[in-house]
Amino acid sequence: MGRLNINQKTAEALISFKNVSKSFGATKALINCNIDFKMGEIHSLVGENGAGKSTLGKIILGAYKLDSGQMLIEGKESQINSPVQSVNLGLVGISQELSLLPSRTVVDNIAMGRELTSGFFVSSKKTKEKVLSVMNRFNLFLNPDSIVGSLSVAEQQKVEILRALNSNARLIVFDEPTARLASNETEQLHFLVNSLAKTGTTIIYISHFLEEVLSISDRISLLRNGQLIRTNIAKKETKKSLIEGMTGKEEGNLFPKIKPVSKNSETILQVSNLTRKNEFEKISFEIKRGEIVGLSGLVGSGRSELALTIFGDKKPDKGKINFYGKEIKNNSINKSIDMGIAMVPESRRTQGLILARSLIENISLPYLKKFSSIYGVNKKKEKVDVIEACNKTTVKHNGVDFEVQYLSGGNQQKILFAKAAMGKPRLLIADEPTRGVDIGAKKSIYELIAKLSDVGESVLLISSEIEEIIGMSNRVLVMSRGKLSAELEGSAINKKTIMEATFKN
Amino acid sequence: MNIIELSRKYGIAVITISLFLILALTTEGFFTERNIRNLLDQQSTILIAASFMTIVIISGNFDISISAIFVVAPLFALNIENATGNVLLSVFGGVGLGIILGAFNAIVVTYFKVNSFIATLATSFMFFGFGYLISDRSLMRPVTDTYQQIARTKFFDITSATWIALITVIIASILLTRTRFGRNVFATGGNQEAARLAGINVPMVQATTFILLGASAALAGIVNSSRSISAQPSDDFSFVFSVLTAVIVGGTSIMGGKGAIWRTVAAAFFLAFMNNGFNLLQVDPLWQRIILGLVIVIAVALDSWSQRKNV
Repeated sequence: MGRLNINQKTAEALISFKNVSKSFGATKALINCNIDFKMGEIHSLVGENGAGKSTLGKIILGAYKLDSGQMLIEGKESQINSPVQSVNLGLVGISQELSLLPSRTVVDNIAMGRELTSGFFVSSKKTKEKVLSVMNRFNLFLNPDSIVGSLSVAEQQKVEILRALNSNARLIVFDEPTARLASNETEQLHFLVNSLAKTGTTIIYISHFLEEVLSISDRISLLRNGQLIRTNIAKKETKKSLIEGMTGKEEGNLFPKIKPVSKNSETILQVSNLTRKNEFEKISFEIKRGEIVGLSGLVGSGRSELALTIFGDKKPDKGKINFYGKEIKNNSINKSIDMGIAMVPESRRTQGLILARSLIENISLPYLKKFSSIYGVNKKKEKVDVIEACNKTTVKHNGVDFEVQYLSGGNQQKILFAKAAMGKPRLLIADEPTRGVDIGAKKSIYELIAKLSDVGESVLLISSEIEEIIGMSNRVLVMSRGKLSAELEGSAINKKTIMEATFKN
Repeated sequence: MNIIELSRKYGIAVITISLFLILALTTEGFFTERNIRNLLDQQSTILIAASFMTIVIISGNFDISISAIFVVAPLFALNIENATGNVLLSVFGGVGLGIILGAFNAIVVTYFKVNSFIATLATSFMFFGFGYLISDRSLMRPVTDTYQQIARTKFFDITSATWIALITVIIASILLTRTRFGRNVFATGGNQEAARLAGINVPMVQATTFILLGASAALAGIVNSSRSISAQPSDDFSFVFSVLTAVIVGGTSIMGGKGAIWRTVAAAFFLAFMNNGFNLLQVDPLWQRIILGLVIVIAVALDSWSQRKNV
């Protein structure tokens, strides 16, 4: 694996860090790191959440200042005090949350802050020509007059990259660029990143997806708890060596053992011919008691819409949903929750959590009825139950009265599980349950899911990570363009069969 | 908890109590029974509306139209009183009108999905118009002597206006902190999508907050008219600004999801003490408003600053 780059040893460093440290209050984000980024290389940073990789990127982008140590740009000691200064030096970032003006055109967005003028006025003609020439130079085309808000996430990302190129970027920091992309879009992005590096642009690539990192990088730097463990040529690393380096432990098996479901186990959910116009059609499948069913497919294949329809958020146009032998008519979220269906939604920040409120209030929210009477909410009983749910789902916290925004990503994700566990659900729908969490948290979320199925709860697991689907499911459903394109069981579950079904028309 | 968090949480209470102590020790005429009773009486109308305004703002909305409800409800109540001579009926009628107008706001905001600021600005004009309509564009006075007793009856030497305010504040606080409805208000303002996916009927929660505020603004208007033994149609927006000032200086976030009624009460008294102190010290009213403006800027800036420190 790894990209072959002949100049690797001789290339000059664009940016070097010497003994840099950075703390936030009591947390040491970086401790005496020595690292350099060479011109034209793809240099990945890997590590668990909180290892310091994003901090390093943000220092380069001028968002944070160093506490101590030196930063050399082309051998000269430099200080970056603001994001503007970074951009002027040609150091640009592409972040997970895109920073675009959704109601403006592609050209407007790319040229933002760098519009060309004739005299006092902005010349749209000159500006557009300049943007087109950048598109030409890097072979990266988009309709210049499209409104950015109407583009897909992948295309919006291209707009950001073009904006970086238009400002003569010499170094681009990609922070988790593929977290929101489907796998074919990911491949396109990798191709683009490679060709940028060939033109001499330095790429810093931050990602949780280790296969991606291994295939795309020239060099990989491994960080753990703010310290640089090593910088190595990508070819000399493997997934196993990276995980061991990141966690500091030998890699155990990431996935717990999933118990097989017996053939005569009771069917708890039966979906037949379920259809919602322009989202999905004629979906039929069933889930047995204690079974983990994986639902795979690209973003936009209709899988999240299907999940929300089963959960009662959307009404089906046609078809039936039976839960424990009873047909759910006029479904609503409230009804689903009462019947024992719980959901871990796709995005914990926008759909899952109320960040400025306490663990208690977040976790008990869907089940407040249980603690309410004419005298109001019984806070004592609520607290006892919430603490029990936290213990069950291994949420680490300093007290259930603290606001959830102070917890790590992995723990926030587990709060969604604690919330679901409050209702002792009979069916859990988990949409991307491990997105954006580190390997340690991932592992414990997998164990949680396995434990649920052990006690007879059923799980519908939706995920973009094929390994997760393979490692966790008793049975796998694949969706493609709104249709169920495969139902796989036992030895038929593997990467090849899932990928084929994913791209089936 | 560190000092920033502590000051963020209890700052307004500390500041209010400090100001009280400073004025009590330095300003003659401040800490007298009469002055304190007057202060409580004067704040009653603001407190009645501000408690429920706090709830509306926590749920992520805004309501400008309480000024108009404050004007139109007592006119309606006096219409009933003039016609029937029944004061109790007139109070129910006035509050009932507040409920209906609040429900109208609720429909515009939750059903037609109009931004609440714009929606209630527009309905304000309608409600002010109703005021002229039902009063024949003239000042109205009660025909009974009982009407003025609504606000002026004394229990334990304290006016009924103050008692009504106290009861309203307690009811609103209990609703917000002890009930499922209160939790749903915080959830709706904090993250509407997450609230919806937790099975909360978000439009219903928001509608309820508008209706409760409509009723309380009407009650405040009736108390006010009882105190002044008259009511007059007008286009006067000033009531909502006094109420909003108390809510915002108290530190309830305009973005929704955060806040408390005790903070609004503390801020209302802080502003009242300041105003009262200025008057007793004979500060030029010109300077009073400049300082008031500065205090609001500082309160809002402090809030925004402490938010940044926390993320």
